[in-house]
Amino acid sequence: MTSVGDSIQPYVVTTTVANWNRFAAINDEFLPHSMDDQAAIAEGFPSAFGMGNMQWAYVHNMLRAFVGEDGNIITLEIQFRRPNTKGQRLSAQGKVTAITDSAISLEVWTQDEEGNQLAHGLAVVRPSKK
Amino acid sequence: MPDTYMVPEVLAAIGRECSRSTSYPITASDIRKWALAVYYPAKPPQKFIDAEYATEDFDPFAWGPQKYESLLPEDDGSVIYRHGINESALGIPKWEFIVGLNGGMDCQYGVRMHVGDVITDVKSVGQWSERPGKNGLMLMTRHVSVWTNQRGEEVKRTINTGISY
Repeated sequence: MTSVGDSIQPYVVTTTVANWNRFAAINDEFLPHSMDDQAAIAEGFPSAFGMGNMQWAYVHNMLRAFVGEDGNIITLEIQFRRPNTKGQRLSAQGKVTAITDSAISLEVWTQDEEGNQLAHGLAVVRPSKK
Repeated sequence: MPDTYMVPEVLAAIGRECSRSTSYPITASDIRKWALAVYYPAKPPQKFIDAEYATEDFDPFAWGPQKYESLLPEDDGSVIYRHGINESALGIPKWEFIVGLNGGMDCQYGVRMHVGDVITDVKSVGQWSERPGKNGLMLMTRHVSVWTNQRGEEVKRTINTGISY
């Protein structure tokens, strides 16, 4: 039984160029700052960093596992706050904020291993009835 | 850097439809490869390997559309704008930025994408804004993208925010 305030199962992944290169290949998203430390440093970042679309995907992975086989993600909004730099252990997390007969609202975010939020947003999902 | 990015050309562009793209039919391989990448190094759920349907974040336009047309009279459509819009065809000045970042996404989902679906994407100019930042005045661009399938059902409606400074 899900209750307001519950944390949902996080989706955790260590992010490196191995993740980003695969994503670049399927999404035709070959960004120098996601593949080359020097390109990212020239833009003022400490190392290469991942695409926002990858964090977006990880939040979807987490929500998909939460809603179950026949559940749906109804809305998702994310704002990116910090770069997902190379080697971070990124965790997509969520906390239930409201429950109605047909939907569950959540605060969602990604964070690094030190608890720094990289992205933050809101989701509304319809859980599986099974 | 200008004093403001909210020039008359920007204000006049808000709400204009800019382009219409049509995807190639989605294949099982497209769905499978996408899932393998976004779940890497974990194994994706079997339903995505079996390509029952695509993950919500799947992009059937990733490697180019089957058909692309500009909806702007000032644009001949010879350059495909996958993520953005043809700002110069809208008369928007060409500002020089140090960096352009993905600021965020806001998405409402409709029906799922399945093998064989052909998706149409109509892009329009959303609400642009600006705010001061530590690197100077930042421009927040917003583009609205509405996807429908071959039956006219809405697949998703996304607002993409870009941050430039």
